[in-house]
Amino acid sequence: MKTLVIIPAYQEARNLPRLFEELGEVPLDFDVVVINDCSTDDTEEVCHRYGIPVVSLPVNLGIGGAVQTGYKYALRNGYDIAVQMDGDGQHDPKFLKLVLSRIHQGYDMCIGSRFIENKGFQSSLTRRAGIKYFSWLIKLLTGQYISDPTSGFRACNRELIRLFANSYPKDYPEPETIVTAIRNNYRITEVPVIMRPRQYGESSITGNMAAYYMVKVTLAVIMAAFAKKNGDGAR
Amino acid sequence: MSSELRIILIIASVAFFIFILNMVRTKKLELKYALTWLLTSLAFVLLSIFPQILFFLAGILHIELPVNALYLCVIFLLMMIVFTLTVAVSRQALRIKTLVQEIGLLKEAIERMKK
Repeated sequence: MKTLVIIPAYQEARNLPRLFEELGEVPLDFDVVVINDCSTDDTEEVCHRYGIPVVSLPVNLGIGGAVQTGYKYALRNGYDIAVQMDGDGQHDPKFLKLVLSRIHQGYDMCIGSRFIENKGFQSSLTRRAGIKYFSWLIKLLTGQYISDPTSGFRACNRELIRLFANSYPKDYPEPETIVTAIRNNYRITEVPVIMRPRQYGESSITGNMAAYYMVKVTLAVIMAAFAKKNGDGAR
Repeated sequence: MSSELRIILIIASVAFFIFILNMVRTKKLELKYALTWLLTSLAFVLLSIFPQILFFLAGILHIELPVNALYLCVIFLLMMIVFTLTVAVSRQALRIKTLVQEIGLLKEAIERMKK
């Protein structure tokens, strides 16, 4: 099955080389595409140097718009499976095989979760509390428990590639897309992965943004739970 | 409502209506977005010529001063305009996003064809 690894990247020139090298060591057959979300550093040059295809957006769209571009790329180039991985080095390509195995088994989406075995980077206490809250909210709305709903390490099959290419939330898309997928009767599962703290740069969600994040995502998740099926709820 | 206020309102609202109409005529304003403005300015013209509407409105809503009914109408119309603008902005944002993604994907496709 034709597999694509989508790496949304904004100002990740320092983190990408290590990720590319690690991806090169994975004994699996897959392609990689970087979505350069209008970075002002050398993100694009780094990709060219490593011979990795790069889609450079002329305007900064934010994580959701960048990831959706990746799904459009996957759809147009006939990929059967797409895996999303962060460009900041938090996700270890070692776990690609495990994440992909669930899609091969017939699941529509598989999320790499750091909270099944609770190993590796677990992020701060407040952040974990926030993530737990979203797990609870998603369980309440859909009946399915997802231990790491904010994880950006996830694989999905052709049908979900099509759904996400057509409509994808603009920002903070992870919990919302899970609900959209479950609502449309897609089967989601999780596998344990070990994440690492990011190497360079800072998380975009701190301070006041965290409060905004909680409110915005709560609303988005609730809306997604009641959106029209197969619909444009995430637009 | 004083007659001075009425005269000012009539002149201003008629001038405003003509101004909007002219903007549409010279294609500086798209008719689609100008529609709410046209309706608004027309409403102002009507209200200033027939202030009885305001007295009637103030009567049924138990508003003591008819001029306050005027404010109510203005706020209502403004909210309508702001709302249509929010709808327009949302639609534009979605369209721009789609265009930006398309440009990115096309650039990459061209890059690949060159090789």
